[in-house]
Amino acid sequence: MKQTAGTLNRTWLTVLGILLLAAGIALLLQAAGVLPTRANTAPAGDKVVPGDLYPYFGVSWVVVLLMVIGLIVGVLGLMWLIAQIPRKNTADTYRLSDGAQGRTTCDPSVLAKAVENQVNNLPGVVTSSALLRGTATEPNLTLKVTVTDTADVQDLLRQLETSTLPNLSTALESPLQESRLQIDVSSRNQNTGTVVRSTGTVIQ
Amino acid sequence: MNPQGAHALPITAAEDAHYSAGDGGIGSRGITVLADKVIEKIASQVVSEESVAGGSSGGFLGIGTRADLSARPRASVELSGNIATLSVEVGMLYPVPLRQATEALRQRIRTRVMELTGIEVRQVDVRVSWLTTIDAGTGGRRKLL
Repeated sequence: MKQTAGTLNRTWLTVLGILLLAAGIALLLQAAGVLPTRANTAPAGDKVVPGDLYPYFGVSWVVVLLMVIGLIVGVLGLMWLIAQIPRKNTADTYRLSDGAQGRTTCDPSVLAKAVENQVNNLPGVVTSSALLRGTATEPNLTLKVTVTDTADVQDLLRQLETSTLPNLSTALESPLQESRLQIDVSSRNQNTGTVVRSTGTVIQ
Repeated sequence: MNPQGAHALPITAAEDAHYSAGDGGIGSRGITVLADKVIEKIASQVVSEESVAGGSSGGFLGIGTRADLSARPRASVELSGNIATLSVEVGMLYPVPLRQATEALRQRIRTRVMELTGIEVRQVDVRVSWLTTIDAGTGGRRKLL
C-alpha cells in the first residue's frame, strides 16, 4: 500500500542491462576479431594502450573531468538508494472550502480516524487502519482491515460498501476516486469494549 | 487609543447625535471596552450550542481530553479596527456533510457575534480537529443504564 520505487528500479535496471549487454557484445566481437576489421580497432592480442597511463593523468582537465563524472555517478547512485525508502504519500490538509468568508480545513488523519472507528465497530473486525490520499475533491482511501478467523468477509465487504465508504463520501461531499482494501486474518478476538444497549425489564 | 487586546465598541452617527443632544455629550458617559476574549468566548459558545459541532472537555495539558459536542471549542480572534477575523477549531459529528455544516456554523458565528458585539466579522476560518460518531459517545466504557 506504500509507494515503492518499483518503476524507477525497472527503468534503471533496463538501462544498465542494455549498456552492459552492448559492452559484452563489443568485447566478444573484439575477441573474435570482427571488430578490428570492421571498425578499425586494435587487433586482438595487441596492447590497446601503448606505454603507461601516467601522461594522461598529468593533464589537469582529465583529472577534473574524471572527478566530475565520478561525483555525478555517485550522486545518482545515492539518489537511487534514497528512492528505495517506501513512502506513505499522505495527503496534505484537506481544504474543504476557501472563500472570502473564511476557509474550512480538515486534516486527512482526522477523517481516517473516523473511518477506523466506524470499521472497528463492524462485526468480526479486530483492528483497522485507514489512510487518505489525494485532495478534498478527489479523495483516495486505502483501508487495511484485520478480521477474526471466524468473520464473514462477504458480509464485511457489503457493510463497507454500503455504510463506510458512502459515509466518507457524504462527509467530504465528493465521491471517492479510488478505494483500496486489504484484509488480513488474525487469531485474536474482536474487542471493541462497547456494550449493547438493551431495554430491560424494570423491576419495581 | 484602546488598551492592548481590547476593543471599543463603535458608535454610529445617529447614536452620537442623540447623545450629543443630551447632557454633556458622549465623552462624559464613558466608553465600553470589549476584550478579545469576549469575542472568542461568544464564538466558541455559539459552536457549543450547535448540535453537530463542539469542542473537547476534560484532560490535563491536552492529555486525556475527550470529544464533547456540548463543550466550547478553542477560538481565536484577530481584530483590526472594527473588523474581526475569527478562527475556530471544532469537532464535528460524523458523518455530516462537512462543507455544508461548517458553512452553516460560519454564518451562525458571524450573525451572533455581530448581534452581540456590533463587530463586523469578515472571515471565519474553521478547522475540523476531530470527528465523532454518536455511538462513540461512551468512549468504549461501560455505561450504567
